[in-house]
Amino acid sequence: MIVVFAIVAVFGVRLFDFQVVRAAELNKASASKQTAVTKVWGTRGSIVDANGVVLADSVERWDITASPKDVVVDGFVRSKKAEDGTVTKEHVSVMDALGEIAEITGSDTNKLYEDLSKDPTSNFAYLVKGVKLDVFNKVKALGIPWVWDQPHPARTYPNGAVAGNLVGFLGTDGALAGLEKSYDACLTGTDGTQTYEVSRDGVRMPGSTVTTKQAVDGGTLKLTIDSDLQYFAQQTIAAQAQAMGAQWATAAVVDVRTGKLVVAADYPSIDPNNLDSVPAESSGSRFFTAPYEPGSIMKPATVASLIDAGVLQITDKYTVPGWYTNTLPAGSKIGDVFAHGDMHWTVAGIIEQSSNVGVSMISEKLSLPKRTEYLKKFGFGTKTGVGFLGEESGTVQNPVGLDPISNKAQQFGQAISVTSAQMASLYQTLGNNGVTVPLSLVEGCQHSDGTVTEAPTPTSTRVVSDYAAQQTLLAMETVASKGPLKSTISIPGYRIAAKTGTAQVGGADGKYGSDRIVSVAGLLKVDDPNYAVIVTLGLPTKIKTSAAAAPAFAAIMKQVIKTYRVQPSTTATPDTPTEW
Amino acid sequence: MSNLAAAVARPRERSREEQREQRPHLEIAASRAQKRARPRVVYALAVIAGIGVILIAQLLMSIVTADGAYEISSLQTKQKQLGQERKALNEKLEVLGSTQNLTQNAEALGMVASGNPVFLDVANGRVSGTATPDGGSITGGGNLIGNSLLTGSKAVDPAAIAAARAAADAAAAGQHTEDPTQGFDGGTTTGGDSASGASGAGTGSGDVASGAENVIPAPTTR
Repeated sequence: MIVVFAIVAVFGVRLFDFQVVRAAELNKASASKQTAVTKVWGTRGSIVDANGVVLADSVERWDITASPKDVVVDGFVRSKKAEDGTVTKEHVSVMDALGEIAEITGSDTNKLYEDLSKDPTSNFAYLVKGVKLDVFNKVKALGIPWVWDQPHPARTYPNGAVAGNLVGFLGTDGALAGLEKSYDACLTGTDGTQTYEVSRDGVRMPGSTVTTKQAVDGGTLKLTIDSDLQYFAQQTIAAQAQAMGAQWATAAVVDVRTGKLVVAADYPSIDPNNLDSVPAESSGSRFFTAPYEPGSIMKPATVASLIDAGVLQITDKYTVPGWYTNTLPAGSKIGDVFAHGDMHWTVAGIIEQSSNVGVSMISEKLSLPKRTEYLKKFGFGTKTGVGFLGEESGTVQNPVGLDPISNKAQQFGQAISVTSAQMASLYQTLGNNGVTVPLSLVEGCQHSDGTVTEAPTPTSTRVVSDYAAQQTLLAMETVASKGPLKSTISIPGYRIAAKTGTAQVGGADGKYGSDRIVSVAGLLKVDDPNYAVIVTLGLPTKIKTSAAAAPAFAAIMKQVIKTYRVQPSTTATPDTPTEW
Repeated sequence: MSNLAAAVARPRERSREEQREQRPHLEIAASRAQKRARPRVVYALAVIAGIGVILIAQLLMSIVTADGAYEISSLQTKQKQLGQERKALNEKLEVLGSTQNLTQNAEALGMVASGNPVFLDVANGRVSGTATPDGGSITGGGNLIGNSLLTGSKAVDPAAIAAARAAADAAAAGQHTEDPTQGFDGGTTTGGDSASGASGAGTGSGDVASGAENVIPAPTTR
């Protein structure tokens, strides 16, 4: 009994001691135990192409920071354990420590000292930003007591400028351009928070971590682009543009049955890893954002519209003079790219020779409002289904009060402005039997929990009849089989439909100058169309006709055949009459 | 005396001394039931010993738990470090696998673009397509599509690959008796070694000696 009482008394005294006598002192000591709240980054999702090749990815980097408040001016003692177990102590001064950091990170010791000593009372200063894992581990191994670190996720683009125009890039505050910006909602993760207890010397207490909010990683954005074919197209148009002295170039490859853009290439194309790689005006995507007058590659749209309206056949015979003056004001005339007398051409021949006079003549068969309506149905004057950041809709002129020259000129691609994307959509329609499937660039977004948000299925619309589209392709086939560029653009064993274009470019004074925008557009293969290819060169100086773009067109067409294992045509090219 | 008187007769009163002499030492004789009910010392000792054992067991368990907690903590740190290393290596891999790097290396090895494809219809043995000669480089006058992450030459060195392959073959031959499947599919093994050799060439052929154990499956074409 006495023993029991004695024990209770001892505990009682101890209790009194803690709760009353030493209360204040113990409270103060415990106040130094802090609860720290840290942000847990939700990793930004990656952008991949149709085959899973990574175009944009998030990587871990660290910022090396310091706590100037904790720096002891005399330096610190570092104990090193050698391999045989002996422990040596060495004294390391502040400058020595900074020197070691500078050597590992490749920075300047004096600059580090400057940053460190800028505000000696603060407990935070940046020393080196954005170091990789190996450098980070080496700095940590130095064991300098006033050096800390914080994670700083960064973005990398492993394929550099391939699809750089489409992917876009990030700035300091987030996405600035391209798909990074327009699909930010899919790619951005949600940051979470964690609280943990820290002891007085700042060491995180093990086991005290509590996750208050779970971090959610961003989703993966899947594109319709094939990165290998995109690289090939970019390389080809870059080489061709440089050889021809062109200022810019675009290339498109569309899967005509699904409207998916397999290649949407620009030259110059930014390397998002290095924002200085191209001048500012080329850092976006001209393919979607820069309208221009397309020239003769618009003619198939005119022919298809007229056939669909029932007023034309490709075998109709025309006597085409060297100049077109009908309905034009006195003194105005429309001519062809080469001077000629009266020529006996069928409609197919007008396409093969790319005659502006011929197109003006056949346009008389349908009223202007109806022709303009067809152009609008083909998608001109409206943005494509891609909805790219900054995409332009181009201009289709109002038929009411339109001047007589533009009345005809818009049918051969002048007096109307379009983007490369819209031209791709036109050829998709012609290749898909006259049914437009809106262009798409994104397949869907795969979220971090595994669910997939597919891009909405585009609704198809019929623009012209099957017959009109197929007849137009037959007319275009004569360009590849009989036209002046046939040796460059034809591919043995494959029935190719093609159209060349040499567009005049309006100058600042509103008049057409000597600059040209040249292009070649085509479809593979006439008996079973699956891919449309368009190559456009802007303002070439060496050759100013579509012959400048033809080799690139042929090369890309051949690469499409190899990539998708397109089998040769099973039927022979029919002999479509071009002259009579 | 009468019977009644005899029956109620009180015993004669003893004198005090008699009482003291004759007082018997009386104990309550415990009945058998009471004997059994009495708590025994051995049980008390057993209970106290049991409490002691429980306390010691508790102490040991908390020691083991704490030890386990430390081990978990150190393994979690290790896991985090390995995760970081994996991500850093993956980043390196993506850059090495970039189209620009592959094209450069392919052309350095002398590969050229193929000609037109020719198709064989297996069902009826028909061949379609016109073959054209191979030749020409994909990049023509040099790669024009930049990649600022490819600093320095990442060209693969054929001599390093040959050396790595020789080392891996020697290692595989040594392991042949332990793992018979190693030598079985010779094509795959060599393919795997050269694939791992190519990626390791940048860091030196010494790293690839272990390639034989980490056979990379043969690539599948699209």
